[in-house]
Amino acid sequence: MQKIEILGPGCARCKETYRVVRHVVEDAGINIEVVKEESIERMMALGLMATPGIAIDGKVVLNGRIPKAEEVPALLGVV
Amino acid sequence: MTAVVAHAGDVRRPVRFRRLIIPAFAVAYIALAPAASFITYSIFHLTRGTRLALAVEFFTFETPKVLMLLTAVVFIVGILRSYFTPERARQLLAGRREFSGNVVAALFGVATPFCSCSAVPLFIGFVTAGVPLGVTLSFLISAPMVNEVALALLLVMFGWKVALLYLATGLVIAILSGWIIGRLKLENHVEEWVWKIPASAALESATPSWPDRLAGGRAAVREIVGKVWPYVVVGIAVGSAIHGYVPTDFLARFMGREVWWAVPLAVLLGVPMYANAAGVTPVVQALLGKGAALGTVLAFMMAVVGLSLPETIILRKVLRPVLIGVFVGVVATGILIVGYLFNAVL
Repeated sequence: MQKIEILGPGCARCKETYRVVRHVVEDAGINIEVVKEESIERMMALGLMATPGIAIDGKVVLNGRIPKAEEVPALLGVV
Repeated sequence: MTAVVAHAGDVRRPVRFRRLIIPAFAVAYIALAPAASFITYSIFHLTRGTRLALAVEFFTFETPKVLMLLTAVVFIVGILRSYFTPERARQLLAGRREFSGNVVAALFGVATPFCSCSAVPLFIGFVTAGVPLGVTLSFLISAPMVNEVALALLLVMFGWKVALLYLATGLVIAILSGWIIGRLKLENHVEEWVWKIPASAALESATPSWPDRLAGGRAAVREIVGKVWPYVVVGIAVGSAIHGYVPTDFLARFMGREVWWAVPLAVLLGVPMYANAAGVTPVVQALLGKGAALGTVLAFMMAVVGLSLPETIILRKVLRPVLIGVFVGVVATGILIVGYLFNAVL
């Protein structure tokens, strides 16, 4: 895993998703880049139609809702 | 992967406690009316029949009632929604004929989870996959206007007839508006860059299991009720004040069915206003109780919920001004007709 992208046009739900994921990643001490991606082109390239979304190395693992902190490690595959 | 997640969440709450939720909910619900009158007359010692007592009793009864029922409905809808995804809608709509496409799009709009910030990616995802413009717009009209919070609150506060009426007329507006815009052939008023984006492949997703769907229901409650409850409380507070202090039939003069200009005024006021259904419905209920006509208040609610300034600003990214104007104009006209129709028929 090299890169986590949080996708969304910059609304409150996307920011919340970014915050949740950042928090989990930092708490777990994982050294990985978390990027907030706001470009529509990128969302389209990934096939995302419902935001917020989380993509890991270019693969969408969650879309259309804010994740709970507890489920993030499983989404990232670091359990 | 998600199945693992749902189970991980389940472990924390003992099953025994969960079984008690539904009975506890029912008991609390039955106790609401006595509790409200106990608070009003025994704790606050208000005199029966006074305006203040009326307002306080209304507020202490309505607030928990509406919040409880809203939670229940949002939970159920959250589960139902796991059956509908934008991907599925797109798959079904791509290459469909116009009129039947508009119908299916509007129906899917009701059921599919939608947040106005998703409007742009969804719009592009649909049109680049070959969903006709008018059909896409039918979806984008019905999704915010006929949403589960609006329907749940109408059901709770006005009963199933009004909720059904709102659902049916909202769908008709979405279907016809999308169809008309499709007939007008306004594709060249979509921003050019949209057409240059290559169609994306659909996300693959596993069919969710039952624990997943239940988790979806809980997530919907957390996210939706967690967000809208302050609006509900404020809305009911305003509604309580109207209920207690505004004389019955006072509003009939301004918002009654004989007042021909009430409907256009309601729509004009409603369109730029941005509030969600949660805040508007309690106010609408109180207005109705004071002699406002049903068509007028429903038109107001549809205009507030269905057409909003922030959403048009978001859509401006993909639609040129002419198309935005036509979009708002056609939908507003539809709402206007619905308002007059109800005032004439009911």
